[in-house]
Amino acid sequence: MKITEFQEKLLQKAMDAGFKEAEVFYEKAESFQCMIFEGEIDSYETSVDGGLSLRGLYNGKMGYAYTEKIDEDSISFLIDNAKANAELLDEDDGTDIFDGSSEYTNYQSYSEELANVQIPEKIALIKSIEEKIRSYDPRIVTLDYCGLQNFSGEQSLANSKGLSLTEKKNGIIIFVSTVVKDGEEMKTGSFRKMTRDFQSLDADEIAKEAAEEALSNLGEKSIPSGKYPIIMRHNAAAALLSTFTPIFSAENAQKDQSLLKGKVGTQIASNFVTLLNDPFHSEALSGSSFDGEGVATKKRAIISNGTLETLLHNRKSAKLEGCETTGNAHKPSYKSTLSIAPQNMHIATGQRTLDDLLVSVSEGILITGLSGLHSGANTISGDFSVEATGFHVKEGKIASPVKQMTIAGNFYELMKDIEETCKDLYFLPDGYGSPTLLVKELSVTVD
Amino acid sequence: MIKQSIIENVLNAALSTGGDFSEIFIEDKYVNNIALQSNKIEKSISGRDFGIGIRIFSGLQSIYTYTNDISEEGLLLAAKRAALAIKGGGTGTIHPLQKEIFDPIHQIAQMPQTVEHARKASIMRQANEIARNYDERIRQVTVRYMDEEQNILIANSEGKFIEDTRVHSRLAIQATASEGNELQTGFYGPGAHAGFEFMENLDLTHYAGEAARIAVTMLHAEECPSGKFPVIIDNEFGGVIFHEACGHGLEATAVAKNNSVFANRVGEKVAPEIVTYIDDGTLANEWGSLNIDDEGEKTRKNVLIENGILKGYLIDKLNARRMKTESTGSSRRQSYRFSPTSRMTNTYIAPGTSTPEDIIASTEYGIYAKYMGGGQVNPATGDYNFAVEEAYIVKDGKITHPVRGATLIGNGAKTLQLVDRVGNNLAHGAGMCGAMSGSLPVNVGQPMIRVSEITVGGTKGE
Repeated sequence: MKITEFQEKLLQKAMDAGFKEAEVFYEKAESFQCMIFEGEIDSYETSVDGGLSLRGLYNGKMGYAYTEKIDEDSISFLIDNAKANAELLDEDDGTDIFDGSSEYTNYQSYSEELANVQIPEKIALIKSIEEKIRSYDPRIVTLDYCGLQNFSGEQSLANSKGLSLTEKKNGIIIFVSTVVKDGEEMKTGSFRKMTRDFQSLDADEIAKEAAEEALSNLGEKSIPSGKYPIIMRHNAAAALLSTFTPIFSAENAQKDQSLLKGKVGTQIASNFVTLLNDPFHSEALSGSSFDGEGVATKKRAIISNGTLETLLHNRKSAKLEGCETTGNAHKPSYKSTLSIAPQNMHIATGQRTLDDLLVSVSEGILITGLSGLHSGANTISGDFSVEATGFHVKEGKIASPVKQMTIAGNFYELMKDIEETCKDLYFLPDGYGSPTLLVKELSVTVD
Repeated sequence: MIKQSIIENVLNAALSTGGDFSEIFIEDKYVNNIALQSNKIEKSISGRDFGIGIRIFSGLQSIYTYTNDISEEGLLLAAKRAALAIKGGGTGTIHPLQKEIFDPIHQIAQMPQTVEHARKASIMRQANEIARNYDERIRQVTVRYMDEEQNILIANSEGKFIEDTRVHSRLAIQATASEGNELQTGFYGPGAHAGFEFMENLDLTHYAGEAARIAVTMLHAEECPSGKFPVIIDNEFGGVIFHEACGHGLEATAVAKNNSVFANRVGEKVAPEIVTYIDDGTLANEWGSLNIDDEGEKTRKNVLIENGILKGYLIDKLNARRMKTESTGSSRRQSYRFSPTSRMTNTYIAPGTSTPEDIIASTEYGIYAKYMGGGQVNPATGDYNFAVEEAYIVKDGKITHPVRGATLIGNGAKTLQLVDRVGNNLAHGAGMCGAMSGSLPVNVGQPMIRVSEITVGGTKGE
């Protein structure tokens, strides 16, 4: 059965079964992934998969069900389960199915050129990267992993109110972890690059960057624990921002899960901080012209020069506060219920490069990586204490890598302590971005 | 789930270019997720995951493809496309499939799919009530209920044909306490390889009460000092530290390519004599247990470290080839979307002889980690980090005040050498473990242990 046909049939049957309104969300994905080990293909993976969910209003409540088995029998499975789930809810969700925005941005998140790159070409690239890394320096002993992933996907949302939206996206990601050894000292360095422009991937450049990321960690020294000014490199800052995203959700604030409750219009960060929700940023691979409810997405400031402009809303949280949705309903897959999340949220850039910034630092620590964020950060209290990789900076220069360390602080405080943002904006594959930040100080514990 | 003749055709098609092993993994899984927040059942979703993974080996090369197009044409196309990655010629044929029957170790009394939603919701409401009634400072309680029934079929070119049904149930309780401008949380998430009987027998007063107690306790916790201290890690989920610090380093995924500090060291002393470390997928109905692994091998009790001596690793079929040895029934995957590899099941430190009271009484100054949070390890270097959910300062042999924001860092192989007490109160805790082959239910376990020195990162300074 064709998918559009299935969608129509399902919507019709849902209405017949007593749903007042209903929506069908469909997703299809294709991917290719290849890992290289010592010049040989170590793993090779292809996939074509997808699924579909039904979300519908039954007796005033919103029921959900999904399936990956798309056939005639699934229709009753979806309808029966969505009904049972609706009946279980304690009160109506406060929302209905959306009938559409007046205008949607025409957004290109799919490259035909990338779709036409053949598998042998991709394998040749990743093999060449592995070889170039291995021969880059004798201290490189092995690669923990060296892979390439190419993905493409299509999402569509159709509902009983006549809304029908479709979007395609694709991209390619290179991911490498290099293991280096000097005497007894063993270090790793990981590297990731993502793009929609295959031709921009240069094996020499990638190999150099990946190798240097690991090699630079050799020669570690211990320094006294204490409070230090922190230069947080773009990737580490983006990872920290991504971890604390839940504090910007209006739903979390309404439920006493965010300390930003009641703070709209007030200063919550230093003047240097502007935080943007930017669904159409050209350097990010995620982003979409419609959100999980079908509302048109928009670029907007969440924080402007330190002032909290808005929290992120979907239609339910907006209705509770009597405001407009910000188009941040989040439905990461057909397997999920609706929540709230930003699109390509990033901190706005400043003027200087990292090198220019370093020159002006008399003593501090440059943080190049964070690990353990999923467990060492409390998104409700804002406290974090996580493992960090980085360098001791002295008199404007990198002095040495620092032995295993942790940095600890509170995210709400950190936002107030940002003293500068650089111009080097970097996006993680999941769409969170930041330039390098200068932070007044954090507690650092060194092994 | 699919006709045997089709499976045979697919396994043969996968070998058409010179592969020497082919395997099919079929999964049909029913899932229910219900969420309670602000005293209300707010979200409920049910679903069915369905798909197929086909794997081909050619020597050490592994090809994987997955799809949920299960028509015979779709499957043959997927198998042939995957086979194209192997550039040999061949006419590999499979051994006749022999259906393997076994007695399941893990009995399921009440299949969750047959239990009405309202009964599930009732358990959640009880947990919510208990946590809220614990203290007036509890402002918010989130309860998540999850059950799944995973039906699998595994067949391979060596003639294996085996089916199993795995059932998982879990209740996750998070309490938020607030006072002034402070928000603190407490979490407990018991789970089992069992049906709804697990929920009905669950000691909700204990689990929901503990989640609330932790949140309230942390409101008045002082900042944790940083430095190097003896650290006492309590039993149950405390075992997460050795899961990260040495469990991952004993998986063939790391060992086979020499990317582990434990590679090539079987027979060597890697820990003090009081340490015995075991992975056992056969523990009845435990969260990390399985009847068969995701290559169809029976799970077993694998002793990894015995009285300090390294005895073995956790090995899957592919890495067994690289290591020229046999699989240990340790191959796992999250779903048909993942190629399986060596992973842990229920991993624990065997009980010793010290009593918890003695361990604390013999500690002059240190940190007592009552409940651990999660952690992470770099398997190549063994460097790990952990969050402590609930920690206290131990002074002159007594537990004194709570501290927060404690993070433990160190190197797994080195920390293992520094274990100086092993208690007699073994218990297991449920967690999710994320790695190459996806996110999996695992148990971590241990009795109370003490490590003579761990670097503690905190906010207070030295």
